[in-house]
Amino acid sequence: MSTSTNILDIKNIEVTYDNVILALHDVSLKVPKGKVVALLGANGAGKSTTLKAVSTMLASERGKVTKGTIEYDGTSIEKQNPSQMVGLGMVQVLEGRRCFGHLTVEENIIAGAYSRKLSKGDINQELEKIYTYFIRLKERRKSQAAFTSGGEQQMIAVARAMMAKPKMLLLDEPTMGLAPQLVAEIFNIVKELNQKEGVSILLAEQNTNVALKNSDYGYIIETGRVMLDGTAQSLLSNDQVKELYLGISKKGRKNFRDVLKEESLTKKKIN
Amino acid sequence: MVEELLFFMEVLVGGLLAGTMYSLVALGFVLIFKASATFNFSQGAMVFFSVLAFVGFMQDFNIPFVLAFILAALLMVVVGLCTERFVLRPLMNASEDTVLMATIGLGYVLEGLAQAAWGVEVRRLDLGIGDFPVPWIADNLKLFISALDITAGLVAAIMIIGLFLLFKYTKIGLGLRAVADDAGAASSIGIPLKHIMLLVWSAAGVVALVAGCMWGARAGVQFALVDLALKALPVLIIGGFSSIPGAIIGGLIIGAVEKVLEVYIGPFFGGAIEGWAPYVLAIFFLLYRPEGLFGEKIIRRV
Ligand SMILES: Nc1ncnc2c1ncn2[C@@H]1O[C@H](COP(=O)(O)OP(=O)(O)OP(=O)(O)O)[C@@H](O)[C@H]1O
Ligand SMILES: [Mg+2]
Repeated sequence: MSTSTNILDIKNIEVTYDNVILALHDVSLKVPKGKVVALLGANGAGKSTTLKAVSTMLASERGKVTKGTIEYDGTSIEKQNPSQMVGLGMVQVLEGRRCFGHLTVEENIIAGAYSRKLSKGDINQELEKIYTYFIRLKERRKSQAAFTSGGEQQMIAVARAMMAKPKMLLLDEPTMGLAPQLVAEIFNIVKELNQKEGVSILLAEQNTNVALKNSDYGYIIETGRVMLDGTAQSLLSNDQVKELYLGISKKGRKNFRDVLKEESLTKKKIN
Repeated sequence: MVEELLFFMEVLVGGLLAGTMYSLVALGFVLIFKASATFNFSQGAMVFFSVLAFVGFMQDFNIPFVLAFILAALLMVVVGLCTERFVLRPLMNASEDTVLMATIGLGYVLEGLAQAAWGVEVRRLDLGIGDFPVPWIADNLKLFISALDITAGLVAAIMIIGLFLLFKYTKIGLGLRAVADDAGAASSIGIPLKHIMLLVWSAAGVVALVAGCMWGARAGVQFALVDLALKALPVLIIGGFSSIPGAIIGGLIIGAVEKVLEVYIGPFFGGAIEGWAPYVLAIFFLLYRPEGLFGEKIIRRV
């Protein structure tokens, strides 16, 4: 549709819930086509809110973008609803591996194709393709999703989203609460989907280290504001990121706010 | 002795067959409950509204039976459409209590509309099926079972099987099951909630029409059908609000228990305990097994 290099362009958005709770103050963020971008921050920083603003799922939680603009593929998403966004190729994988518990693994994945008009044959073909990325799920295709492991449920949620044939995925904490080996496995799949299927990815994570190692670019947000952004490489080697988000702490400072406060204090002292 | 047993069987079978209609109406409630976590208090009014429209089409406009039935079924789809558009959609982000109140309001609207359009007198509905024992069964099994009861049982069974197939094997059925499990996740992959709402309200409407026909054929088409349909409430308390098998078995239990109690214990209370016995049973369930026979726990026990 557009020749712009950014598939997603968020400009200075402010988001409020229930007309009063200000969750995002000022967030700007870009996702270049075909790239993986990490959105990092602690609990309550506003990661999920940012993703839901993009997928337009905010409305169902009484949230609203009150300032700023969001452009997806060159056009504003202001008037869209979630199922229209899915139709345009933007699919969110919600936080907390939300599978359909009573459905089988395979039914869960097929449900992802709901927005597409596919014949039975097409669906089977798509399924087979998706199983090549999620080999584990193929073995468990007939199991009821509620009885699969946490890692498998996360895979179901991502596989289900892939069935919608997205151009862009919004992944909300895909590795939350998973063992390190599974974290690696999930990220490998995400990378593969990005490279082989060309899906652009915006990834919310608290697992800063692994997330940055598997991303091209990163943004760090705190209490609804972008505090820092840069290439994944530069963030990984940034002293403050190391200290605050990678657990290589020196002074017990907890977030950028503290760092800024200290800096202004030292400045004052110098003056 | 043998005769007493036969008589008991007769009462029991009659009760079970009558219970299938409770199952069917309860199924309408369950569908709506699963899709929107709301107890639809207008279901009774839907029964009254739909069957009154059906007999109205036949008696006031001389529309033939089959066509009138189809028209009434379509009318219920339109009711579902309007409910989705004008009641549910504006209340999308409202609390469940608000939606519940709205269904009560919707019930009054339907009752009012029905009476305004078709009048208040009791109307006769003749399905061409008599409410008398089937001779073949009476001769061969020595059981006196009403043809109307048997028809009701068959019709309910066919509808339940039909709905089951719809939910198990069609795309929109898959969508409904997905929404029932997690509406947010369903919406995140592009399943439009409004289609699903439309489906369950239309299905509940058609189910209401069928139940209304069976009940109306026996007792006349009248306002009391609203209360009869609300017997789905004890059915659901027994079966569990979100369980389809629960609705079916709960309906059979209520049907059987109320008939058996009516016949054997009723005389001590001066009869007519059918009306309240199911609610007493439901209260026992509320006290000792509030999640019902097939309540949500089932998934963890399988
Ligand atoms: N539905 C809601 N209604 C009201 N406030 C909300 C709602 N959802 C989130 N918030 C508030 O918005 C802020 C940002 O929350 P958000 O869920 O976006 O954070 P997050 O970065 O995703 O956190 P986590 O890592 O815990 O998932 C928090 O202060 C939170 O309390
Ligand atoms: Mg979150």
